Amino acid sequence: MSTESQQTPSSFTTLERVRSEGRLWADLCDQYGVENPDPPWRLSLEATCEALNAGTCALPTLERRSEEDELATTVYADLPFPERQVLALAHSMMERGLIDEEQLANRMNEVEKRLNSV
Amino acid sequence: MAEEHSHKAAPMVDEVSDYEVLETAVRELAIEKGLFSAEDHRRFAEYAHSLGPLPAARLVAKAWKDPEFKKLALEDGIKASLEVGVDWINDAPTGFGTPSDYTDLRVLEDTPQVKHVVVCTLCSCYPRPILGHSPEWYRTPNYRRRLVRWPRQVLSEFGLQLPADMDIRVEDSNQKCRFLVLPMQPEGTEDWSEEELAQIVTRDCMIGVALPHPDRKADDPRPVHPAVHPVEHHDH
Repeated sequence: MSTESQQTPSSFTTLERVRSEGRLWADLCDQYGVENPDPPWRLSLEATCEALNAGTCALPTLERRSEEDELATTVYADLPFPERQVLALAHSMMERGLIDEEQLANRMNEVEKRLNSV
Repeated sequence: MAEEHSHKAAPMVDEVSDYEVLETAVRELAIEKGLFSAEDHRRFAEYAHSLGPLPAARLVAKAWKDPEFKKLALEDGIKASLEVGVDWINDAPTGFGTPSDYTDLRVLEDTPQVKHVVVCTLCSCYPRPILGHSPEWYRTPNYRRRLVRWPRQVLSEFGLQLPADMDIRVEDSNQKCRFLVLPMQPEGTEDWSEEELAQIVTRDCMIGVALPHPDRKADDPRPVHPAVHPVEHHDH
């Protein structure tokens, strides 16, 4: 039995697709011969988390981290950091209705096209 | 004719991953919904990029060299941080303290009888303005849960074996208060300059899971030890 079949799927299909199909930074590093331990989006993610805690305090750090801990041992347990941090953040934001899943899926399609445009 | 380049550019990952796309999409939607602005995000990102362990290493080295400064560091960590170029209140992009919250910095002085070590049992609070980003193991529930119950065992897993009669004091960080360990100055470094001393004060020494050593500098290459019992005739 593969480990995938034992994994609890994410309740958000968009995030489940990223979890099952997304390529991890460690694998990309191996393929491209890169040694940087962090992906280029790591500090941007950190800044997003901080900005959500500041100002209007849409998502307080303590709540986000507590939910990340929970999700990191259940739904996203098979993922390393910071991949599981970005999934947990999106998960927490959708649970709270700060963003909705359809919008996120649409935006991801747009962003993917934009970042890959030449 | 252009001269041939003597060195190649560092390799880069030439592929956009789904995780990078997700990070960008979440950020853009949050900005469009007015949860924060693109300028807020840029300032937080710039701040995060500028953080590193060096100011904390200088604080420790300065405290070793200067008893007056050490007194200040133990009394008021925030004020002492100013002398190594870190302003906890005004440098932060919030303009009123560190990201996450305004915090107090307590400097914990190790003695021959007491070793300090820092954890955040609730999440991953860390003195980022002066010590940079926390290592991944500091965030793990495993470290956070076990350090407070079995500190001696956890420290030994980091390779730090402490005498049985030495007390271990674990301090639990939170959103209001962060901690930095002031380890004991290693023997044989009494004549060193502040710059030389700062080089041996690594991040882990200031979390408390390691001790500074005169032969081990923060920017040393990672040590490689030959196996004591190498596997022989291994065909796989």
